[in-house]
Amino acid sequence: MSSEPVIEFKNVWKKYRVREIFHGSIRDDIARIFKRRKSRELDMGEFWALNDVCLSAARGECVGLFGPNGSGKTTILKIIASVTYPTLGTVSVRGNVAPLIALGSGFHPDLTGMENIYVNGTILGMTLREVKRKIGDIVEFSELADFIDMPVKKYSSGMHLKLGFAIAYHSSAGILLMDEILAVADAAFTAKCMDGIRRLRDAGRTIIFVTHNRALMDGVADRVVYLKKGEISPAGL
Amino acid sequence: MNIFKRLYRYKDLLLVFVWREFAVRYRQSVLGVLWTVVQPLSMMALFLFIFSFVMRQKVSDYPAWQFFFGGILPWQFFSASLNYSVPTLEGNYQLITKIYFPREILPLSGILVAFLDYLVASAFFAVLLLFFGVRLTWNVLWFLPLLVLLFVFTVSISLLLSGLNVYYRDVRLATGFIIQLWFFASPVMYSIDSLDIKIKVFLFINPLTFIIENMRRCVFEGRGVVPWQFALVSLIIILFYSVSYRTFTKIERAFADVI
Repeated sequence: MSSEPVIEFKNVWKKYRVREIFHGSIRDDIARIFKRRKSRELDMGEFWALNDVCLSAARGECVGLFGPNGSGKTTILKIIASVTYPTLGTVSVRGNVAPLIALGSGFHPDLTGMENIYVNGTILGMTLREVKRKIGDIVEFSELADFIDMPVKKYSSGMHLKLGFAIAYHSSAGILLMDEILAVADAAFTAKCMDGIRRLRDAGRTIIFVTHNRALMDGVADRVVYLKKGEISPAGL
Repeated sequence: MNIFKRLYRYKDLLLVFVWREFAVRYRQSVLGVLWTVVQPLSMMALFLFIFSFVMRQKVSDYPAWQFFFGGILPWQFFSASLNYSVPTLEGNYQLITKIYFPREILPLSGILVAFLDYLVASAFFAVLLLFFGVRLTWNVLWFLPLLVLLFVFTVSISLLLSGLNVYYRDVRLATGFIIQLWFFASPVMYSIDSLDIKIKVFLFINPLTFIIENMRRCVFEGRGVVPWQFALVSLIIILFYSVSYRTFTKIERAFADVI
């Protein structure tokens, strides 16, 4: 197995603004585009969401991100997913990324569970042919066979989660991002998901796992990265 | 042409988004796809009424219903595309802040849905034309390149406006109003044929003027398009497309941060 890390952050900084962006005039905005300051200085109302973060994850590793709200966990996931980009520093991500989107936001309420499998599956990077091939397994894993032709707007939040996890579990992406996904799962399905995550990891997938639940984290993560106010803090603090 | 390269890997996603729009739209509706024909038909009926009873003006040498239909169909494709695509990035912010895919897929899927509507309505119209025995000439082939121009122009303006709307919601607020103004600036219910040359040139600033006028010309009048005019408008539209697509891909990187 290559030791080349699948995800690597080198001295990553990410700047955000507290206030509404573009609260000023169009003239200020245009001036801002041309200024292009990538400096380490903060303007009024700006803060560092990530502050000199270095981290890496290897193939077949499950890395947990742990820390209070606003510590930068979600920002890290966004950068891995190429949804946003660092202000400073370099990031390399090798392979396809499938973010398990928080509680059904990838679902359309008017479509049935079955139809949403196609939508969400392709959003997660599967081809239509792939979804078609795996659809039986996905439905089975979700335990929703009886409700699969019902519009998703009638699902409970637990059912949303089951369907969402079942789809992500069957995606072929090398990197899976899981942000606080099990918050509404019952004990039985949580156990099933944990088991699934371990199986994915053993199959060589890289998983970044975020939760506030210590027990879950210890149960599944090979390694936990502690974050505090955008900085990586020494273990356990 | 860069857009094809970017979208190739995501063609299934684009297909699914188009299908999703289509499936969602006609769910719990009685008329369903008939809506695509009902809309232009009722608009045409209204124009016929106005121009035969209220304003009493002869609009063309061929039947007025053809004239109106020929303008309403491309116009509705254009305006429906804008209406779909402008708010779509904002509406899908949950996807945009979580997962990467080329963002133009969202506005494009709206445009493609509008295009499907357009095709359905056009097929209906084509049957009507044949039924009423319109005589076509080979010049009708000009219709296809004109349609391509219409499509490219619609894509360009939709990408530009939908991208800007992520930054300034004013764009969405202004769209309805802009579409209304644009309608009167386009030869949908009038023809520019008999106008003074100065006014003609002024109206030709709007690319839709050239496209709609010539679509009628090649289908109903059997005349061809003036090649140099076609070349000039194509050039302008292609330039406009490349500017707006480049702008879109440039500002796209910050969508998740500003949305």
